[in-house]
Amino acid sequence: MLRSYLDFVRAVSLDRLGRVGVILVTTSFVSFMVMQVGMLLGVVTNAYVGLIVYLLFPVLFVLGLAIIPLAWYRQRKRTGKSIDELLEQSFGPEGVQGRAAGSRVFRTVAILTLANVLILGVASIKMLHFMDSAEFCGTACHSVMSPEWTTYQASPHAQVACVECHVGEGMGALVNSKLNGAWQMVSATFNLYERPIPTPVHQLRPARETCEKCHWPEKFYGSRLQTRTSYANDDQSTPRYTTLNLKIDPGAAGNSGVHWHVDPENEVRYASVDDRREEMIWVESRQPDGSVRRFVNTRLTVPDPEAEDLRTMDCVDCHNRATHIYEEPERAVDEQIRLGAINRELPYIRREAVKAVRGGYPSLEAAEQGIRAGLESFYRRSYPDKVSSWYDRIDQAVEAIVRIWARNIHPGMKIGWGAYPSFLGHSDTPGCFRCHNRDIRDAEGRWISDDCTLCHSILAYGESTPFAYLEPADEKARNRPMHEFLRDEFLTSIED
Amino acid sequence: MRNISLIVGICLVFSIGAFAAEDPKVAGACMTCHKEKSPGLYKQWFDSEHAAHSVTCLGCHQAKKGDADAFSHYDATIATLVTPADCGRCHPKEAEEVGNSYHASAGKILDSADAYLAHVAAGDPVAVLGCESCHGGKVEIDKSSPNKLARRSWPNSGIGRINPDGSLGSCNACHTRHSFAKAQARQPEACSKCHLGPDHPQKEVYEESKHGNTYFTNEELMNLKADSWVVGVDYAAAPTCASCHMSATKTQGITHDVGQRIAWTLRPPISKHKDNHEVKRANMQDVCTACHTRTFTDGHFYQFDASVRLYNEKFAKPATDLMKLVREKKLLENPAAFSNKIEWTYWELWHHEGRRARHGAAMMGPDYTWWHGFYDIAQHFYFKLLPQARDLGDPDVDAFVDQILSSDPMHKWVREQTEDLKKQIRAGEMQKIYTRFFEAEE
Repeated sequence: MLRSYLDFVRAVSLDRLGRVGVILVTTSFVSFMVMQVGMLLGVVTNAYVGLIVYLLFPVLFVLGLAIIPLAWYRQRKRTGKSIDELLEQSFGPEGVQGRAAGSRVFRTVAILTLANVLILGVASIKMLHFMDSAEFCGTACHSVMSPEWTTYQASPHAQVACVECHVGEGMGALVNSKLNGAWQMVSATFNLYERPIPTPVHQLRPARETCEKCHWPEKFYGSRLQTRTSYANDDQSTPRYTTLNLKIDPGAAGNSGVHWHVDPENEVRYASVDDRREEMIWVESRQPDGSVRRFVNTRLTVPDPEAEDLRTMDCVDCHNRATHIYEEPERAVDEQIRLGAINRELPYIRREAVKAVRGGYPSLEAAEQGIRAGLESFYRRSYPDKVSSWYDRIDQAVEAIVRIWARNIHPGMKIGWGAYPSFLGHSDTPGCFRCHNRDIRDAEGRWISDDCTLCHSILAYGESTPFAYLEPADEKARNRPMHEFLRDEFLTSIED
Repeated sequence: MRNISLIVGICLVFSIGAFAAEDPKVAGACMTCHKEKSPGLYKQWFDSEHAAHSVTCLGCHQAKKGDADAFSHYDATIATLVTPADCGRCHPKEAEEVGNSYHASAGKILDSADAYLAHVAAGDPVAVLGCESCHGGKVEIDKSSPNKLARRSWPNSGIGRINPDGSLGSCNACHTRHSFAKAQARQPEACSKCHLGPDHPQKEVYEESKHGNTYFTNEELMNLKADSWVVGVDYAAAPTCASCHMSATKTQGITHDVGQRIAWTLRPPISKHKDNHEVKRANMQDVCTACHTRTFTDGHFYQFDASVRLYNEKFAKPATDLMKLVREKKLLENPAAFSNKIEWTYWELWHHEGRRARHGAAMMGPDYTWWHGFYDIAQHFYFKLLPQARDLGDPDVDAFVDQILSSDPMHKWVREQTEDLKKQIRAGEMQKIYTRFFEAEE
């Protein structure tokens, strides 16, 4: 079997060019198979190998196959012999006996062609499948996609492939994404892309098709209790708690929470001055009875904008950073302190960590050095007697701060603090207040409520305990009216 | 003593009334949002004495439905504007004193020469920002404004603000919102929002004086936050503006009627004694003697009064008479006030350098008395006012000027020889011309 294959191969490679073709076909096929087995067995795991296996090998394979007939054609031209003569010369008279369809050569070529088609089919499916994998998206254009890949891996959607949100299903989506990908290859090669990359708000699949596969609005969400711990910039880095009971259920009429906006009963549409979707021109809601209430921005900062971005509100209008989450430095530091990665026993560590992580460093190496130098010099200068016993803690803090920096800052893509702000809530950006504010009014002069307790009950707001307002109020406390008001509001809200 | 108990009693009754009117539930809602949306405002209030005494948002901002500036804000009817009448619900004594003070009448400047000049020479926005910011404007109601206050007239924290409820003034001119601290009003910075600049440089005079000097050197010894702040008892390092003009001494209570210790009014072209000036002078001397002996303060006022009379007699009266003559004879080219150069010269003579000189003398600022004061007056009198008057080419005016320069012993020097004048100074003859200012009794 092997011998007859080798004989065939020898015979088919007429000249040097033909031999190159044969070698390409054979080596790429064998390598493909070996790597495939390796990957199936879990021996080969490197994501870059996928690029070689599923992109390079099939290409070489096809190239080799194309070269072989080319060599034959060239040989015929050069020698002036007919194909029959050449065939007989290579395979001997017994090979071509029976002529055309009956000959041994024909049978061998036919079998091999079938095999090739099969191999190519499998390789193509494998290739498409590989190109759908997050590893491909995240690492193929390494320098460009690195920030998104980094944040994706740390996100709640790390188990959902990029294409599930960015490409979607169906032939149209596939073709679209491949055309887009081709253009991206060109722009990456010739350095035509913007830094930082603008959020692809228009290319994103509609949330109805993507997000709602897992998070559907009819689901009962109830309310969600969330405590945010922040630390003061004092020597103790004193913890301060803010606890919100977020009213997130779509809810029934008159008792709705934040997800009212995406309840199938409602439709909220808006026009914003540009596709950053930060400043509204108007916003309107269609009520179940079909009537529409429109609220118009009476304080536009852009005179006479053309309604550039007209949208029906869906998940991403608030959850615009559901996956590629860039943190705020203060909050990232607070979180590392809370997790114990930054030790609060170091005096002023919160203040110093924020200062260090905010330093403008040109590269990761510079950040590592700068953060270390900043922290060590502060403690050496301020606590010369104690610093020697704190080195381990300082080391640990430096590592945590560098991790924060590396996750959020990408100088190559010009991503610094605040490059991609989040619309969720109202701490990074106006968020909810983009529409819920008193400048946006309907014909009767009413505005969309911006009442604090509309979307959340507040059980502590920068207090020393996480449920401060559920505790009895101190008679002399200066904020006693607020304490009691918020306690009562919460208790009433959970009764309903 | 009985008076004080009565006042305290009234305060208590009023305060209980005011607190009872507050719905703590509504105040709690106010705090919730404002802590988030205007955290600085919330923090100022939180750290204030008001917060310590359970005076919350509604204590000051609650309004009645019919009030001109009342508007509906979430579940409450409130007013943005808090007037002395509102503050007076808990602080009736202070509100009454403020109402009687010269400060409260500062808004009436709107018909004065200053306001006229701002309107004609500059324009309305300057009248709003330049004049009314300090003097206080008339707060107008605009029904279409979210808080019912017209934007042209609000914000305004001028000390003589004319409020829609008829009250005059604005407590936060000195007790800046939302901490309303006593300590802040006790510091010279509270006054120097307005009392500074070319026409009334009280701040600069104070900074130059020994009083300012010691204050800025010893600020930490001033006990500014103490409840009781009696000069010589609770602090002694230095006096501030408030110490002399308002705060308590061992014998005088604190007053918000800021003119009660001032004998002269140094504001007009020719200085005048105020009504009951002897009592007012005694009030001031009482403050001085917390730190100085009587002979020391007597000496100061002897020197100060002499320089005021000198200003009046040597420059203010002849200049004023000259201008009167010029106007009576209709010698000016343009009809409107301030449309002729000589009017600006005369104006600055008394309104700018004239006041600088007098305030410098009043508050121990040597440089303001002389270089920024009398030196500028003299230069502008001899080399601007008189030549500009002569340029009008009127024989009566010429005669008037000649009469000043040749027969008034204070001005005759202009036509004499330097050596002779020096001899007169060395011999003490020149000084004798001015003896009458030290000894004058009025």
